[in-house]
Amino acid sequence: MELPILPTSIIGSYPKPRWLLRMYSLYELGRLPKEDFEEAVKDASVSVLREHERAGIDIPWDGEMGRSEMTEYFTAKISGFRFYGPVRVWGNAYFNKAAAVSKLEYREPLVLEEFGWVKANTTREIVKVPITGPYTIAEWSFNEYYPSKEELAFDLAKILNREFKALEREGASFIQIDEPAMLNHPDEVPMAVEAINRAVKGVKVKFGLHVCYSNYHLFADYFDDIKVSQFALEFANRNFRDMDYLKKLTHQELGFGAVDVHNPRVESPEEVAKAIRKVMEYIEPERLYVNPDCGLKLLDRRIAYQKLVNLVKGVQIVRRELARSGKETVPFRRSV
Amino acid sequence: MIVPALIGGLPRPVSLSKKLEQYYLGRLGEEKLEEAYRAHTKRAFENLRKAGIRVITDGLYRWDDIFNPFIRFVDGVEVNGLFKFYENNFFYRSPVVRGELSLRDNPIPEWLSVALDLKEEVYPGATLKAVLPGPVTLAYHSINEAYKNLDELVEAYAEVLRELLKDLPLELVELQEPALAAELSRATKEKTDEVTPDLAKAVIERLARVKRIWVVTYFGTPRVLPEGVILNVDLVEGSVPQEYRGELGIGVVNARETKMERRDRLVDRIKPLLRKHGKLYVTPNTLLDFLPESVAWRKLKLLGKLGGE
Ligand SMILES: [Zn+2]
Repeated sequence: MELPILPTSIIGSYPKPRWLLRMYSLYELGRLPKEDFEEAVKDASVSVLREHERAGIDIPWDGEMGRSEMTEYFTAKISGFRFYGPVRVWGNAYFNKAAAVSKLEYREPLVLEEFGWVKANTTREIVKVPITGPYTIAEWSFNEYYPSKEELAFDLAKILNREFKALEREGASFIQIDEPAMLNHPDEVPMAVEAINRAVKGVKVKFGLHVCYSNYHLFADYFDDIKVSQFALEFANRNFRDMDYLKKLTHQELGFGAVDVHNPRVESPEEVAKAIRKVMEYIEPERLYVNPDCGLKLLDRRIAYQKLVNLVKGVQIVRRELARSGKETVPFRRSV
Repeated sequence: MIVPALIGGLPRPVSLSKKLEQYYLGRLGEEKLEEAYRAHTKRAFENLRKAGIRVITDGLYRWDDIFNPFIRFVDGVEVNGLFKFYENNFFYRSPVVRGELSLRDNPIPEWLSVALDLKEEVYPGATLKAVLPGPVTLAYHSINEAYKNLDELVEAYAEVLRELLKDLPLELVELQEPALAAELSRATKEKTDEVTPDLAKAVIERLARVKRIWVVTYFGTPRVLPEGVILNVDLVEGSVPQEYRGELGIGVVNARETKMERRDRLVDRIKPLLRKHGKLYVTPNTLLDFLPESVAWRKLKLLGKLGGE
């Protein structure tokens, strides 16, 4: 299957509609029946999916409307985890950090239902399914049971592998593993790589890996060892500086973060185009996808939307330039 | 003698964080928020008494991380984006040093007076200490755009701290100095400049002439050993340097894991140090902020029991 050159996509999260946030709090307070809450999530999911499509995103998702947080959503569905209460992440922001208290087992599908709903409602051929990776879940959990973090991460990899196989059976073609914690401990990176490779083993879909706000010079030494076909990284947040490590990305694709998700200023299409021209000095256009730096959920919804619109417009400027040399489409590559 | 002690703060209770949320949304007035702080601090003191913790802090309920709000009261500093605090899924607002540092009018002495009154009311037997970020750790976690090098920045922060120390209503002050032990992680940025160890030592010893200082280190073994202070060492991720002879606090319960330690094993661990030092403070190994509140209290109770050993 062919995609327009410089396919556009998202990283995952998107601002939840305000009315949905209200549903979340009512549901938490026990003042909204489960069915009503689930219906609200599904409606929000379609709205955001449409918003992605309307902005012109080639490979959309539903903005994770059904996920309250990026690890809790998964740990709550895996047996062997328990919750003692919230832990501070910064300021007055907290998350429910799970503790592994017995052997972790696959109990129920993690994202299968979400995927089914998005697939049934999208007008696009391909959607991207984001899912938090084994190392990050391990790193962001307490470990009371396993003798080492490695064993915890590898059991999580096994559980994710089972989910990925189920997703493949249901027709998923593009899964993005999110590993924001992957570079937390430089000496554990090889273990994180091994966990990811175990998670993707034997699954024939396209895998991307998203790592953000970390030291990419450290990361680049592992590009060749990681069995994914794309790395989705952030660039706008660093003003597109310091990109030399990309010389080590010799065969896989790059998901290029072209707009900053921590700054409400909306980049102009020309700025996006300029950034893409700059990254093309390192990576040829046939190996480039374009996306925001990271999930958009912390932005105001209108700003998030405008960022996607301008991202697509910027891509279109560069596409017109590439068309002059006959470069108009790229194959959707499951592996490289 | 074993003295159970708290270092840093306590996890902010959910009920208090809800109040703060209301306050940020403009739905709760300043006065009501202040009431909530006092009520929660008082409850914390009661619980610390029940747990048998002898040297306590006010729980740092008004603080977001070890730097904030302190750095908001320093001229020359702008408070910037979020950075990872060592290798934790915990982020602090970083100080950007834009000009010469000086201490501004600030409410910290007043907050501590309030806490001291509450302590006298519910737990008069305890020693209350203040908690502030140390100059070396402040320097390492700053984005330095004004001073020639980190050494000069350390000196500048120390001067600001010295001013503040003089105003505090407490005699014992804890300086959070993980940077004396922990390596700045390569996870977020490459290290560019270093603080000279001798300078770090001298600067802290100078502060120890203003107040009695408790230097808290964690995430490694301290490489700088100031004299005339109480030095807290993280025994989970570091060890007490052989050559250290001064007063000692040891971080024996792991504040980054929910798993409960066994009391008999802790006692085995403590005994040889007790023989060498005679008096020991036993503490969590690092900030209890990394734990859910219920677990943090369970760990404090365990520490309290060591006090009877
Ligand atoms: Zn990200």
